[in-house]
Amino acid sequence: MARVSLTNVTKRYDDVVAVDDMNLDIKDGEFVCFVGPSGCGKSTTMETIAGLTKPTEGTIRIGETDVTKLPPKDRGVSMVFQNIALFPHMDVYENISFGLRLRKYDQDEIDRRVDNASDIVQLEGMLDREPNELSGGQQQRVAIARAIVRNPDVFLMDEPLANLDAKLRVHMRTELQRLHKQLDTTIIYVTHDQAEAMTMSDRIAVLNAGELQQIDPPLVCYNEPANRFVAGFIGSPSMNFADGELVDGGVTTDHFDLKSDMTELDLPVGDRVTTGVRPEDIYLTRNDDSVEHPSEVIEARTDVLEPMGDEIFVYLSLDGSSGSSMTSGEASGASNQLLMSVDPDTDIGEDESVSVVLDRSKIHLFDAESGDALAHGIVDLSEATRTMAEAESGEQ
Amino acid sequence: MATTTEQQSDSADTDDGVLAQWTQGVIGDDEKRSRLYQALFYVACGFFLVTTLFPFYWLLVLALTPNSAILTGDWSLPVIGLEFPHPQGFNPSAFVEVFQQVPFHLYVFNSFVLATITTIIVLLVASLAGYVFGRLDFPGKGPLMLGVLMVSYFPPAAFLIPLFDAFLGNAVVIPFLGIELFEPPRLVNTPGSMIMPFSALFLPLAIFILTTFYAQIPDGLEDAARVEGTTRLGALFRVIMPLSAPGVATAAVLTFIAVYNEYFFSSIMALENVPQNWSPLVGGILSYQDQYTTDFNLMAAASIVGVIPILILVIVAQERIVSGLTAGALKE
Repeated sequence: MARVSLTNVTKRYDDVVAVDDMNLDIKDGEFVCFVGPSGCGKSTTMETIAGLTKPTEGTIRIGETDVTKLPPKDRGVSMVFQNIALFPHMDVYENISFGLRLRKYDQDEIDRRVDNASDIVQLEGMLDREPNELSGGQQQRVAIARAIVRNPDVFLMDEPLANLDAKLRVHMRTELQRLHKQLDTTIIYVTHDQAEAMTMSDRIAVLNAGELQQIDPPLVCYNEPANRFVAGFIGSPSMNFADGELVDGGVTTDHFDLKSDMTELDLPVGDRVTTGVRPEDIYLTRNDDSVEHPSEVIEARTDVLEPMGDEIFVYLSLDGSSGSSMTSGEASGASNQLLMSVDPDTDIGEDESVSVVLDRSKIHLFDAESGDALAHGIVDLSEATRTMAEAESGEQ
Repeated sequence: MATTTEQQSDSADTDDGVLAQWTQGVIGDDEKRSRLYQALFYVACGFFLVTTLFPFYWLLVLALTPNSAILTGDWSLPVIGLEFPHPQGFNPSAFVEVFQQVPFHLYVFNSFVLATITTIIVLLVASLAGYVFGRLDFPGKGPLMLGVLMVSYFPPAAFLIPLFDAFLGNAVVIPFLGIELFEPPRLVNTPGSMIMPFSALFLPLAIFILTTFYAQIPDGLEDAARVEGTTRLGALFRVIMPLSAPGVATAAVLTFIAVYNEYFFSSIMALENVPQNWSPLVGGILSYQDQYTTDFNLMAAASIVGVIPILILVIVAQERIVSGLTAGALKE
C-alpha cells in the first residue's frame, strides 16, 4: 500500500509526445482509472509507473521512494496485462509463484501465499493445469493471483478485461471491486471503456493527447466536467454541443437562445462559447412539469429513433432538415442536431414535430477556444461560478 | 481393381491412348487419385531414404569386410555376379581394433568437448545478440545485422593464416609500419585455438535463427517477467529462451554437428595429429592411414563409432524440437 505521485512526467518518442507534463497524486488505497481514447498516453503513463518505460523527464514516487530510475522488479508494483501474459511453459502454480521463487522465499511460505491468492480469485484445484487448458476468465484470474501473491504496494491493471467477452467482463468487474475492498491496495486501472471507469473507480483520470484533463470522482467528472473533452468523453451517448456566443442576458446559438444573467462570468458580450447539454436533460414540453428551470421552447423535428429498451434515444433535427443522422455511438457534435433520451413508453414517432426544453440547471458552458468549462448550470451563475472556484481551489 | 478394368473396357472404344485414359481416370476418380498420391509419396520417401541411408550401409559393409577383401575391389554378388556392395565376410572385430590401433576414444572426446564448449559459447552470445536484434530498436540495427551477415559470407580459409600466425604466439605487427602491438599467448595445440574461430564462424547462423525466434515472443510476457522480478537478462533466460526451445535446439544441433565434424581448422591448429594436441575426430579417422597402408575397414568402423554420439544427441534434441513445436497444439 502506498501513494503514487507523478511530477512533471513527460515521455517523448522521437517527435511524438506520448505523455505531456503529467502531474498526478494517487492516494494510498485508492482505485484510480485512467480513461481516454486510443493513443491518449494512458498505457504509456502506466508503463512509466511500472518501470517498463523510462520517462523522458519528471519523477515518479511510490510511497516515499523516488522510483524513477529503479527497474520494475524493485518498485513493489505488480501488473495485470491486457493480453494476460501468463507464461505458457509453466503451470498455474509456477505462474503464480514465479515472483516469489525469484525472490527466494522458502517453500512453505510460497505454498501458503499461493494457496491464499488462489483462494481469493477462486482458482482452487487448478494449480497443476497449463495456462492453455484454462478459459479466458480463468486465465485472467491466474494473472490477478500472480499479481496479488507478492502483496504489492501498487496494483497496475492495463485493460485487463478488454479481451474477455461482454458477460464475463461485467462479472470480472464486480470481482475486481470485491478484490479491491478485500486487499485495500492502491489500484491503477487503465481502460478505454468509460463504463468500467465509472462503475469501479474512486477517481477517474481522463487523459487526452498525453495530457491530464481531469482527475475527480466519477460523478464529478460526469456532472462537472473540467472541459469540453471530458464532457464529451464521459457519458454514453455523449453530450450535445452547440456553438454560440454570449449576448446581453444570455447565450445565443444558431438554433436556440438561453436566458441567464451572464454578468457573473466576467466575460465580454460577443465572446464565443460552447453550450453542452446531456441527452437526459432535454425534455418534451408535453411532460415538462418536472423541469424546474426550463429554457425557452425549442421547435424541432424528430429524425431517427433508437429504442434501447429502458429508454429511447431521439435524434432531433433543429433546422427542419433530416438525413444528416448520426448514431449514438458517435459524438453528436453537429450543432443542428440534438440527441434526447426519453422514457420508453413515450408516444413519439419519426419525422414528427415536437417542442422541447432544456434543463437550464444542467447546461454546461465551455470556452469555445480553450474548451475550459465556464459554468455548470446557468440558472444562477453566481452560484455556479462560486462552486467552480471552490472546486478549483480544492484541487490545489 | 474390378472398377478399373471395367472402366478400361468401357473406354476401350474411344480413340484415347492408354496414358490419356489413365490421366482421365486419375482426374475423375477420387480413389484412383489418392492411390496415385500414395504411390508418389512412397516413391519420394524411398528415394530420400536410399540417398541418405546408403552411405551408412556402405560404411557398415566396409567395416565388416576384412581389409584384404576390400583391396581386391571385387563386389560382385555370389550367384548373380552383379556388382553390388555387400559385406564380404563378417569381421566385427574391426570395431574393437579401432580402439587398439589408435586411442580413437580420445579423438572422439576431443571433438565432443570442442563441440560442446563451442555450442555453449555460441548459444550464450547468439542469445544476447538475438535478443538485441529481435526485441530492441536502436539506431544502426540494420547495418549491424548486415555486418553479421557479411561475416557469415567470408570464406573461413581467409582467416586461417593470420589466426595461425597469432595463435603461434607471434607478436601482432601493424603491416608496413612494423610496429609491434602485443604478443598473444601461444594457443596452438589447445582447445582455445579451435573454439575461438569456430565460435566466430558459427555465430552468424545462430544469431539469425535466434533473432527470428526471440522476435516472436510477445512483449507482454517479457514485461510480465520484469514486473514479477527479473531483469531483462533474467527474462531472456527464464522466459524468452524456454519459449523459443525449438529455435535454441535447432541452433544448438546445427552448431554442434558442424564443430563435431570440423577438420580444416583443427587439423592445422593441432600441430601434430595426436589426441594430446586436441586433434579432432576426423584426424583420428585419418590416422588409420599411413604411408604404405590404408585400413579402409578400420576407417569405416571408426566413422560409425564417431556418428553414434551425434545420433544420440540428435534423437534427444529432436524430441525437444517436436515437443516444443506441438506443445501448444496438443494441449488445447
